[in-house]
Amino acid sequence: MAKRVVLVALLSLLIASFAFANGSAETQKPIKIAVVGPLTGDFAEYGTGFKNAVVLHAKQINEAGGVLGGRQIEIVSFDDKNSGEEAASIAERIAGNKDIVGVIGHFASGVSMAAAPTYEEVGIAEISPSASHPDYSSMGEYIFRNNSLINVEANENLNMAADLFHAKRVAVLAVKTDWGVKTADILINDLAAKRDDLEIVGYEEILDGLTDFSSTITKLRSYKPDTIIVCAMYNILGPFANQYKDVDPNINLIGFSNAYSEQLIKLAQEDGNGIVLPAVFFHESPEAKVRNFVDAYMADYDGKIPSSLTAQAYDSLGMFAQAIEEAGTADRTAIKDQLYKIKYDGVAGQSYFDANGDAFKTFYWLRIVDGKFTMIDKTSK
Amino acid sequence: MILQQIFDGLTLGIVYALIAVGYSLVFGVLRLVNFAHGATYAFGAHIAMVVIVSANFGLFWGFIASVIVTGLMTMLMDRIALRPLRIKKSKGISALITTIGCSYIIQNTLMIVFGSRSKWFPKIFDYGNFNVGGILVKSTQVGIIAVSVALLLALTYVVHKTKIGLAMRAVQQNSKAASLMGIDVNKVVSFTFFLGGASAAVAGTLISGYYQIVNPQMGFVAGLKAFSAAVLGGIGILHGAVFGGLVVGLAESLAAYYIGGGYRDAVAFIILIAVLIFRPNGLFGKKVIEKV
Repeated sequence: MAKRVVLVALLSLLIASFAFANGSAETQKPIKIAVVGPLTGDFAEYGTGFKNAVVLHAKQINEAGGVLGGRQIEIVSFDDKNSGEEAASIAERIAGNKDIVGVIGHFASGVSMAAAPTYEEVGIAEISPSASHPDYSSMGEYIFRNNSLINVEANENLNMAADLFHAKRVAVLAVKTDWGVKTADILINDLAAKRDDLEIVGYEEILDGLTDFSSTITKLRSYKPDTIIVCAMYNILGPFANQYKDVDPNINLIGFSNAYSEQLIKLAQEDGNGIVLPAVFFHESPEAKVRNFVDAYMADYDGKIPSSLTAQAYDSLGMFAQAIEEAGTADRTAIKDQLYKIKYDGVAGQSYFDANGDAFKTFYWLRIVDGKFTMIDKTSK
Repeated sequence: MILQQIFDGLTLGIVYALIAVGYSLVFGVLRLVNFAHGATYAFGAHIAMVVIVSANFGLFWGFIASVIVTGLMTMLMDRIALRPLRIKKSKGISALITTIGCSYIIQNTLMIVFGSRSKWFPKIFDYGNFNVGGILVKSTQVGIIAVSVALLLALTYVVHKTKIGLAMRAVQQNSKAASLMGIDVNKVVSFTFFLGGASAAVAGTLISGYYQIVNPQMGFVAGLKAFSAAVLGGIGILHGAVFGGLVVGLAESLAAYYIGGGYRDAVAFIILIAVLIFRPNGLFGKKVIEKV
């Protein structure tokens, strides 16, 4: 009899432990999130930045106890070589893997848009930290971008012109690429046309990679601007500042966030002082969360300084984690629904998604002072 | 405003002239278009950058070092890659392709050593700006024009008044006959390459100091434009190259002003094509009679 009792007790214990083990296996299984970007080729720096940031953030979340009461986040990375074909086939592989609940990536807009239909069809949320093409996010309800739209940033530039420089006569210089021309178009025809505090007095285009600005400068000066907004990256803004300030040292120059690079200061030297630009991420920000991120990133990746796109990839994983936590489940659809509701406070500022899946961000205003980027206190203009 | 554009265009043009002269010198002696000339120009700019910015030796030594190192580099290029072709009497097209190859080797070496990013270069001859009859004249421009004109005069003097210049002209007319007359043709060719490289180095340094920027790809478009300037004036003729350079610089500057900065590069080549239709040998070129 006693034997039997012991046997039953043992058996029930065994069954219970099985049941328990089974239950814990379900709840303790890691949650997989994919990160996709170009890890080889010309754009490898960006894709590697995505992967590094996401892996770092997953490690931090896991060390702090994971999500949903102790589940770990596991990162699966793919190399799309920044090619549409490659991206589409990777999207199929991700869609077919039921364990993956979210995708961070695709770097270029065109590549993201090649992969997006697959994600939309099977219902898995994709957050691109970089795609800026206006049509990308409207490709479906599962398609998100954690990058600011051109028009939001361009509006920020006009605000800077008005608030910081009290600009009245603004000229625009754009690099002759899809991005530059589109940005200038939105800036001039959509945004500035609606304002009455300042006027766009002139518009000039310039070829990418050009170093002679003398004719363009003479033309720009004939419009008598007090402020020039330069829709180009640091490789143009730097030498342009050198050559323009040579003839008119009092000009106010405003750049875009993709000119935000240490290279800008190296190229413009003392003529860079006074240039202002908006940015969602500032690596020298005194804020504790940014400091922690930059320090941890530099410690893990041989002293590399994270760029704003890297910071946005880092935040993208945070958004997934927060959405999973708040939804209380790692279900693909539930995560998507929750993403529309969250307000995420990340290293690249506060963001939330609108009905399109576009992120809205708050911008820092940066000014180069004595050869260093410094933050402008917006309240004290 | 138009005067301003003309002045800016002439400054640009005189530098194109300096590069174009390098094409003409080599073409004159060897009947070879040296497509590595644009990369040589970028090479010269980088050498000057190392001496002036990194080693902090100042502009004068930057020029000297750039001229010597770049001149020697082009001589070496001729010695290693081109002379064997001449000895084997290979077709002209092989030498042409070889210079294109050398151009990429030089450019990629610059990228490996210095990185492909643009780098800052200090402004040269900087004594401020002054206003002459409504035209804003920068001291940098004055310096560039002065150095270029002096160098062009010096080159003309070397070619027309010195013994080595006489030898160069002799090789140009008939290298076999020149060699029979006791001229060391290889030495003359080496010297010609040195002059070409040196003038490219000076042009590269001047332009870098004007635009305050240096990068390994800077020679590509500048080289093409200078080549079209040389052809425009009649390749092989020094004053033709100078004139062609001025026309190209001026056309570019005016085009950027009146048509828009996005189209400036096309204008130089449109002019080139137009001139070649009416004067196939260039503005100053003489008809070459093929002797059998």
